[in-house]
Amino acid sequence: MARYAMVTDLRKCVACKACTVACSAEWDVPTGQARTHVRATPLAGEFPDLMSSPYVAQCNHCDHPPCVEPCPSGATFQGDDGIVRVDGDVCIGCGFCVDACPYEARYISPRTKKVDKCDFCRPRIERGEEPACVATCTAHAKYFGDLEDRNGEVHRLVFHVGARRLETAAVAVGPNVYYLGRPEQLDLVLASFPPRPPQLLTAGEAWKKLARPLVIGVVGATFLGQAVAFFTQLHKGEGDFDE
Amino acid sequence: MSSVIPVAPVPLTKEQAEAMLHHQIKKHHVAIILVHWFNAMTWILEVSTGAALISSRYFRVAPDWYIAMFNGLLGGRANLLQFHIALGVTWILVFLPYGLFGFRTYLRGEMLKVTDRDDMRWLIIRTLQILGKSDEPLPPQGIYNAGQKAFSMVVWMMTPVVMVTGVTMAFRLGSPWVVGWAVVLHFLAVGMIVAGLVVHVYMGAIFPEEKPAFFSMITGTVNELFAYNHHFKWWREMKVAHLAWEQKRTPKDKGVGSDEPEGEPAEKPATDSPG
Repeated sequence: MARYAMVTDLRKCVACKACTVACSAEWDVPTGQARTHVRATPLAGEFPDLMSSPYVAQCNHCDHPPCVEPCPSGATFQGDDGIVRVDGDVCIGCGFCVDACPYEARYISPRTKKVDKCDFCRPRIERGEEPACVATCTAHAKYFGDLEDRNGEVHRLVFHVGARRLETAAVAVGPNVYYLGRPEQLDLVLASFPPRPPQLLTAGEAWKKLARPLVIGVVGATFLGQAVAFFTQLHKGEGDFDE
Repeated sequence: MSSVIPVAPVPLTKEQAEAMLHHQIKKHHVAIILVHWFNAMTWILEVSTGAALISSRYFRVAPDWYIAMFNGLLGGRANLLQFHIALGVTWILVFLPYGLFGFRTYLRGEMLKVTDRDDMRWLIIRTLQILGKSDEPLPPQGIYNAGQKAFSMVVWMMTPVVMVTGVTMAFRLGSPWVVGWAVVLHFLAVGMIVAGLVVHVYMGAIFPEEKPAFFSMITGTVNELFAYNHHFKWWREMKVAHLAWEQKRTPKDKGVGSDEPEGEPAEKPATDSPG
């Protein structure tokens, strides 16, 4: 079983956003939304020792994706290959997963009113091609492959070169997009764009903590009441009723 | 002449009870019967598929095997959702005209009559009886008893919520925030109705005392003895109306094609009815 991962070399990235454009074209992403974002950290350090870094963000297809559990209908799920997918036919557009994602990788499409995000270009992978962003990257800063393929480039970059996961002690969900860069550069990226602790929308909280226990409690209580009635009746036996 | 009809239930002789047992009176319009069974079938299917649709560990109410079974039965989650939505929309399309146009004809406001003292006492005594803690006789009830009325109130309050939130989710009318709350309200409203349904189904299908009520949802009629014992106020209302109608025509039509002696036995013991 494959375990897909991506490595982005932030030393090579020139923030041209070609990846975002290729991705949007490939998947018909609506204007104003994106499956991959290219961002830049603010300037750090004292003049003349200034530093800034581009940051390419997308779905990390985490080992423990926090977006899967809050999805009520099971539209968001993780395949055996590690790719976290959204079944558009099942998505009801409640947005619970959007708030759960620590990497802000999800958006609700204004067109379909359903959630959308990077799926590592799964249809392209199945055709034996690279993801659109990797194929188009002008600086060849992106690598994609099977983490379990010991002869693969991605395996080498992660296990031998030391590509890093952007995670903190607070939010460690096992992202599978790794980053290469100078240590202080990656520290700056992480400090500028720390993963946000997974959140559950108020509606989700109300469902989980109030509505669900309430419904189970009330239905359970009436059921129990009827059970008591039933056994009382059995014990008493049928009297002479009207028929 | 109206003093012939008792104002409170009085013990019946064996012959009276026997006669009333074999006299059927109409309780439900055929429209109500059809809608009831359509509703019952829809609810069974919608609740069972709905429970299978909630797969999140945060919110689910059904175990894994149940969810897997329904996914398998309908060939995947997408089909399951499509089925749930299609049936739900059909249900709304059937119920909207019924609710809008049939409200006055079929429901006559009886279901929504605010509960009175007798109803409150009925609810308390009935609950105690079920728990085996009371032998007190139940206060007389109208065409629907207080339990049925309480359930119908829950249904009348929650059904619009189920419909509106269902359509909101199915067609994503509104922002994700709106859809998110619609899911929760849909679940909550259905849950309240299901809690009532537990009692409703037990009373209708299992509880022996209410057997005639169950069959009335098929035949549309109940025997008079059941009406007398369980819905006395309704029985009395009918008697009074019948008597008024009889009085009106008696002076002229006396003897001409007189009806069968409907309800006669019940009127006799009333002379010694307690005030």
